[in-house]
Amino acid sequence: MAQFVCRYRKRGELRWISHLDLKRTLERAMRRAQLPLALSQGHNPHPKLSFGPPLPLGVTSDAELVAIHLSEAMDADQLRDRLNGQLPPGLQVLEAWSLPAYRRKETFGNIELAGYLVTLSENMQRDDLQRRVDQLLASSELVVQRGGERPERTVNLRPLIHGIEVDDGEASGVGLRMSLRTGSHGGARPQEVVALLGLDAQTDVIRYHRTELSALPTAASKPGLAQRGKWRRQRRKGSESST
Amino acid sequence: MQISEFEALLPRVTKPARYIDGEWNAVHKDWDSARVRVALVYPDVYEVGMSHLGLHILYHVLNSHPDYLAERAFAPWTDMEAELRRAGTPLVSLESRTPLREFDIIGITLPYELTYTNVLNLLDLAGVPLRAADRTDDHPLVIGGGPGAVNPEPMAAFFDAVLVGEGEEAVLEIAEAAALGRRQAALKRLAEIPGVYVPSLYAYSPTGPGPVGVVAPVDAAPAAVERRYVADLDSALFPVKQLVPFLDTVHSRVTLEIMRGCARGCRFCQAGAVYRPRRERKLETLLRQAEEAVAATGYDEVSLLSFTSVDHSRIEELVSGLIERLGKQGVGVALPSLRADTFSVAIANRIQQVRKTGLTFAPEAGTDRLRSVIGKRMAEEELFAAADAAFSSGWSRLKLYFMIGLPTETEEEVEGIADLVHRLVAFGRGALGARRGRLQISVSVTAFVPKPHTPFQWMGQEEVETLARKQRLLQAGLRERAVKLSWTDPQVSALEAAISRGDRRVGEAIERAWQLGARFDSWGEHFDFARWQQAFAEADVDLRDYANQALPFGSPLAWDHIACGVETATLRGEAERALETREV
Repeated sequence: MAQFVCRYRKRGELRWISHLDLKRTLERAMRRAQLPLALSQGHNPHPKLSFGPPLPLGVTSDAELVAIHLSEAMDADQLRDRLNGQLPPGLQVLEAWSLPAYRRKETFGNIELAGYLVTLSENMQRDDLQRRVDQLLASSELVVQRGGERPERTVNLRPLIHGIEVDDGEASGVGLRMSLRTGSHGGARPQEVVALLGLDAQTDVIRYHRTELSALPTAASKPGLAQRGKWRRQRRKGSESST
Repeated sequence: MQISEFEALLPRVTKPARYIDGEWNAVHKDWDSARVRVALVYPDVYEVGMSHLGLHILYHVLNSHPDYLAERAFAPWTDMEAELRRAGTPLVSLESRTPLREFDIIGITLPYELTYTNVLNLLDLAGVPLRAADRTDDHPLVIGGGPGAVNPEPMAAFFDAVLVGEGEEAVLEIAEAAALGRRQAALKRLAEIPGVYVPSLYAYSPTGPGPVGVVAPVDAAPAAVERRYVADLDSALFPVKQLVPFLDTVHSRVTLEIMRGCARGCRFCQAGAVYRPRRERKLETLLRQAEEAVAATGYDEVSLLSFTSVDHSRIEELVSGLIERLGKQGVGVALPSLRADTFSVAIANRIQQVRKTGLTFAPEAGTDRLRSVIGKRMAEEELFAAADAAFSSGWSRLKLYFMIGLPTETEEEVEGIADLVHRLVAFGRGALGARRGRLQISVSVTAFVPKPHTPFQWMGQEEVETLARKQRLLQAGLRERAVKLSWTDPQVSALEAAISRGDRRVGEAIERAWQLGARFDSWGEHFDFARWQQAFAEADVDLRDYANQALPFGSPLAWDHIACGVETATLRGEAERALETREV
């Protein structure tokens, strides 16, 4: 048994495929690539994959993570290249590395923050945007409704918003950098924050992009991969090749 | 950054992945260098349409040709339709996002009757006049095909041409006819292609209520349109590079067509009647195609497609060969159409060593007499022997298909279904012993629908009320923990029958129903029988004349000009023998 982690990119119109669609797509690509997949036992054997926090629908990313179990060892770069040869346009493994046995239990459990870059339309005013952000961050409670057709429930998003910065780095105008909680303890979607800022999702937003996944930077988080610097390093490499 | 008009709608709809392409094996050809561009359209949502093998075949046949280009489109779900209409955006193809009206051909599958309002809706969303008579040289040719084409009459007004029969060879001839450019010239050429029906070259003279009358050529066109079929299935193109959808479709697996046609001759079955003769692919061909398709798609299951797969002369070797070659990769085999016999169970048992599979049998009727009437050669002992083999091989769940409202059926024979199921339950409990609690018999009951070109085309369907009463009879008779009963709405079956045996007058009712808002009639949440009744009434057509009336032998029928390969006299002989069946 060998375990590998791939950091991959999802971009373009593939932002409209769901996490389940993505899982199937990757499984099929792995089979086409004839990787020596380790299969689960039971009536319906399937490849053993574990994923980082699912990407919200409509969001592109350079920071997605999947762990793959193989029945035999192989070179990580070769794994990346073979998989890339079989991925549909819009999906690309940016890097792959093997996971030493002593880290396997942790996988992605310590990831609790997701960074997003929200590109806004050119007519957004920087000052107005900053005012909205300041006001939002000053609130102690931001209650929103969730759940489409099912009975709706309310969630307080404020503790799930780790930080928001106005970003002028975008060529077309201003953007927002958001750091939002994700993972098993609940999370916020960038679209929800955009709505809380009073922006119009149809006219003001050009795209949503996930830039990084990381552990909480405080001592309160569980010790894990991020503390060993792994994810941070990935992020720096990845941001150079953003779409 | 500019967001295209269509792209801007995606965040506003459910399942936006229905409207994107880029799936593995999707083909993108250069628009300008193609001589003929075909939009292949399926009148249901993406997930349903992508499970239709015919679409994959035509897509690959056309795109394999250097001069032709094919792209896809599906019926937009109601939320997307609302967005398209609100934005005033025309319906576009998946691949190049080209408006459908810019293609040379819009080819639409007619999979079954309850999709016909979607066909009209698609044309409307594409900005193409609904009626062929209103189209000009600026519009694409609208060409139909698929199972519904064997009675094209209810849709005759909306299609420029309809291909009757199998499409993999004819589609290239049709594309070439479209290259003529001018509409009248193309229609004339199309009418010369064997299997192609150009409705505008024919007139309908009804001679009675219901689908009784003559469709005859008014212009240079053959008196009878002969159904096309592929003589050599083994060498016919099989798309190993099947498109691999992102979305979970109805059949997310390799579809391996092992055989076409069926020699069993069940008297109610239209597919059996119109896909003759029975043709097989060779064992070596199938093993090679299965391996290639798995390698090209990455699917983890190969489904063997045919009407009765176990009738393939090499089925045992095929199943063993597939398991041997694919099993170790975790790729399973599925055999969706089984006969109720021990041979089938033995084959299914071999399959489930890789991947667990369900067992489905279709006794169709509750008694041996009624099965004899409908030409279903399956004695009750065979079913019990098959069930015995299944239970002793580890299965505890079976699925059974039945029909009610079959010709000559008595109420006792409906109760015969419940009786048969009860005896099967008792048998199953005994056979399963300690595992008896896991026994589950799923019973699926549909209503008989008379279909053109079958011996039962003359038989009337029972009235909705009668079918509903028989259903209640079954529901009352099958209150049993181990039984799960499901059925189709008799109103849906009535509409299916009326359109199935429809003529050009029924087409008026379909158009009216669409105007009244009918869409996705095969989706329970959208089906509205009252709306259809209103549509039939406003079109001055009586639904019961088409669904329920027994048609007189010897009268001309609205689909007689479509020749599907079996003589009317033969069908009539079968029908008369069926009606005379007293006992087995």
